[in-house]
Amino acid sequence: MRGRYHARNVERLAFSAGRGKLATLAVLACAGFGERAQAAPRGDRLVVMAEQQVLESWPLLEEIARRFEAAEPGLEVDLYDEGGAVGGRDKIKFLLAGELQVDVARIDISEFAAFVREGALVDLQPFADADPDFHAGDIWPFALDACRDARGHVYGLPSTFTPYVMYYNRDLLEQAGVPLPRADWTWDDLLAAARKVTRDTDGDGRIDQYGISLTQWLQAVVPWIWQNGGELVSADLQHSRLGEPEAVEAFEFLHRLLHEEHVASFDASFANQISQGLFQAGKAAFYGPVGYWETYRFRSISGFRWDVAPLPQRKTAATSVAMTVYVVPRTSANPARAWRFLREMVGPEYQTRLARMGNGVPALVDIAHSNAFLKPDVPPQSEQVFLDVLPHARLLPPLANWKKIESLCQSELEGILLVRDTDVPAACARMAAKTDEFLARERVRGERPRAPSGVLETSLAASAIALAAFLLLRRGRREGPLARAEARSAGRLLAPWAAGFLLFLLGPAIGSLLLSLCDWSPLAPLADARFVGADNFARLFHDGTFASSVRATLVYAAASVPLSLALALGLALLFSSEGRLAASVRTLIFVPAIVSPVILGALWRWILDPERGAANALLAKFGLEGPRWLLDPHWVVPSFVLVSLWSVGAQMLVFVAALQSVDRTLVEAARIDGAGRWRRLLHVTLPQLSPVILFNAITGTVAAFQVFAQPYVMTQGGPGDASRFLALYVYETGFLHFDMGYASAVAWALCVLLCLALGVLVLSTRRFVHYRAGGGAA
Amino acid sequence: MKPARAAWIASALLVALAFGYPLYFLLVTSLQPEGQGLDAGSLARATHFENYAHALAQMGDFPRLLGNTLLVTVLSIAGQLFTCSLAGYALARVRFRGRELCFALVLASMCFPDTVGAIARFLLFRALGLVDTYAPLVLPTVLGGAPLFIFLFRQYYRSLPEELGEAARVDGCSHFAIWRRVMLPLSRPMLVTVGLFTFLATWNDFWAPLVYLLSPEKRTLSLALAGFQRTYDTAVECLMAASAVVLVPCVVVYFVGQRLFLRGVRVAASKG
Repeated sequence: MRGRYHARNVERLAFSAGRGKLATLAVLACAGFGERAQAAPRGDRLVVMAEQQVLESWPLLEEIARRFEAAEPGLEVDLYDEGGAVGGRDKIKFLLAGELQVDVARIDISEFAAFVREGALVDLQPFADADPDFHAGDIWPFALDACRDARGHVYGLPSTFTPYVMYYNRDLLEQAGVPLPRADWTWDDLLAAARKVTRDTDGDGRIDQYGISLTQWLQAVVPWIWQNGGELVSADLQHSRLGEPEAVEAFEFLHRLLHEEHVASFDASFANQISQGLFQAGKAAFYGPVGYWETYRFRSISGFRWDVAPLPQRKTAATSVAMTVYVVPRTSANPARAWRFLREMVGPEYQTRLARMGNGVPALVDIAHSNAFLKPDVPPQSEQVFLDVLPHARLLPPLANWKKIESLCQSELEGILLVRDTDVPAACARMAAKTDEFLARERVRGERPRAPSGVLETSLAASAIALAAFLLLRRGRREGPLARAEARSAGRLLAPWAAGFLLFLLGPAIGSLLLSLCDWSPLAPLADARFVGADNFARLFHDGTFASSVRATLVYAAASVPLSLALALGLALLFSSEGRLAASVRTLIFVPAIVSPVILGALWRWILDPERGAANALLAKFGLEGPRWLLDPHWVVPSFVLVSLWSVGAQMLVFVAALQSVDRTLVEAARIDGAGRWRRLLHVTLPQLSPVILFNAITGTVAAFQVFAQPYVMTQGGPGDASRFLALYVYETGFLHFDMGYASAVAWALCVLLCLALGVLVLSTRRFVHYRAGGGAA
Repeated sequence: MKPARAAWIASALLVALAFGYPLYFLLVTSLQPEGQGLDAGSLARATHFENYAHALAQMGDFPRLLGNTLLVTVLSIAGQLFTCSLAGYALARVRFRGRELCFALVLASMCFPDTVGAIARFLLFRALGLVDTYAPLVLPTVLGGAPLFIFLFRQYYRSLPEELGEAARVDGCSHFAIWRRVMLPLSRPMLVTVGLFTFLATWNDFWAPLVYLLSPEKRTLSLALAGFQRTYDTAVECLMAASAVVLVPCVVVYFVGQRLFLRGVRVAASKG
């Protein structure tokens, strides 16, 4: 009796939770999950979002915050961690979209123009003008200028930065009898030195000591173009200049180093810090172009002497700069106070101590010239180089949509650098054409009318009302009392699901459908969305990146789903028995499924490294030459399929569980009838498992269409667009290219594709799936 | 020993080697000297047990992190099991108008990628004032965020004998009571399977905590792990040590738990 009473109560609770409005949910949630976030901006609170660039910098920031609190009684400084280098910098975009109070944040300079264009930042010029202690001349002029808008107003203060330089292995160069690079050394000097150093040291017929370990992301490649007198975009920022001879020559030089002279190799270690890079292992004479952060990483090198030099020159000297900027977002409650905190972060004390920790070149000129930064007693000896190159250091063009252009170029860039027989001028022309097309579309984009205010909210409410009306009308139809009672109890049982479905699936789905009809940057208030009709969907049809995303996703799903299904089933059949060994094996099979994707990704990058990875070493033992895996556009999707096979633990478990409930009497009967092992499996066991197989196939398909974490960590969609799976493209478009409308359209396309695939799967397997009829058999 | 048995043992060892590699990798990397990374001779250098102390110190308040993560995980699993099995029961065993429609909605919602709704969902939680609470991490799961499991439960309940609930129903038992007292005890294999899947999804979830949590004292383990990847200095060996600390208990729990799980399955199967 007590049990039933209790059950009734729970039923009532579930019922009221379903009936009650959002408020009930919110109250329940708050009661259960502690204090609520402070929704309203509060003047007595300063919210600082900061990144931990080196381990020791956080306590220092805390110290500053506490001191700031002491100076302004009643103030509370909340230091929030962005959450690490992976994905951490996208957090601010969510906070802005949600209009949450943030007073100080840190953004990458390449996104600065986008933030300014969308009105996401507070104009700091009035505060700078009113601040008697602020002297613009204390800060590196180029760095401060990068924080100004077109009118010259300051919107942020630079944190530490780093120009790109060339690292070199002093011992290797001296052994090869090559002179150390001077300040004005040239491309020819680099090539000559690289030729002398490149060797096969262990005589196995493969080069294992390279002249240069090259970096391949756009910011690292751009200096070569600038040195050759080329440009990325025209001075008015309207046209790409990547197709011009100066740029083409630069790319041809890099291509030659890699694929004709064979004196250069790619550095895979930057994104893959699990293993040592070629340079760190003493297997490359030069490493670059790359920034100051490697100095921090190379502290632990003890096997050889190393130093830094400016980048080699061609027609002129040039290098690029990576920099982060402290800004005051538009959601700040008290910009004047935020400005004072900003001044602390770019003040002499914090900057001096950051410099001592090795956290980049300080923003303040005097401190950069002090021993706090130059550190004469620690390598590199020539830290001065980072300051010497600044007169010809340049930032990337201040385009608000730079990230999208970078991504368009990056795909061709990888084609040029990774693939031996690329037609370089043609690839450059494609790169320029893609950029031009994009810039032209962007010019049109700005002229669209805004959506009338509240249109998104109104449509959302209207759809909710329509849905509710539909459900109520259905309910109103005449039914017998028994059927009504059944319907009522079904309603109660389904209430929690229905609430979740409406709130967290249907609501957001409709929201994103509405967004897909708009042009909206997550940096801007939602009211700034511009209505563009079906334009975003029309764009899908002539977006080359989308086409390759669809292709990659379909190929991946078509290969990984059946293969992992077969593997999981095979493993389950082999190891479903009792006993310690089978249990241990099952546990080990499960391990890759519980390791975090970030770590798995790092591990696989290391295994699949074409030069020194475990996979190719294993193949070499059998006399096979392994492919270039993640670096080869044809092999990258198969590589991901391989990775997916490794995570079949969960699927296997489902099979193991299902095998336990296979009806043994039937198997026995078949055995007595003389059926062999295979026939028993094929005709008795598998049909009984068929619903579970279908279940795993559906789960697998859903997961395969939404594969995100692995490519995000391992390839970022490269080489080219070969692994830019749809979910990754959705994320990039929304949060890196600030094009939430188009991202929603792509997501809906993904949704439709997945529905089609599942439909085909379910219908085509209908004949083979057997449910125990009426359950009577069991 | 029979040849078949020998072949089985050989294949078991091979599979164990292939799938156990990441664990080996994790442990070896976690014991490397600072800043060295893996290379030839890694195994010989794998002697730096002090990395574990450093890693724990760097993560901050470890018991608190663990507690937060456990809270989120346990709530998610409990909610998921409750909602999904309840809905699965209704869809399988209660006859009502609109059942097919509801089931179609369940199926359709499986197709909707998480990435799409992310911003809209964030705006919703923001409107409810629930940013920087655990609600956004837990509520979507608690309210049946994974429609797949509803499907799974429905299939399972449909495969149970029709008579099972009928008698109780005729005696005037409510559907909820039938679910609670007849169906739930029989669905142990499903409960464990779904619980396990939910555990995996929640334990490793990185994006929801990243986006929704602000206060340092609310952080979860996955966030703390991500914190090891810094722009200038990624302490790989500490990252791996911390990961091992997070992972190894799960492996042990799994190893011990699977026996109970399989036993449960067999009991259920024989009863059915």
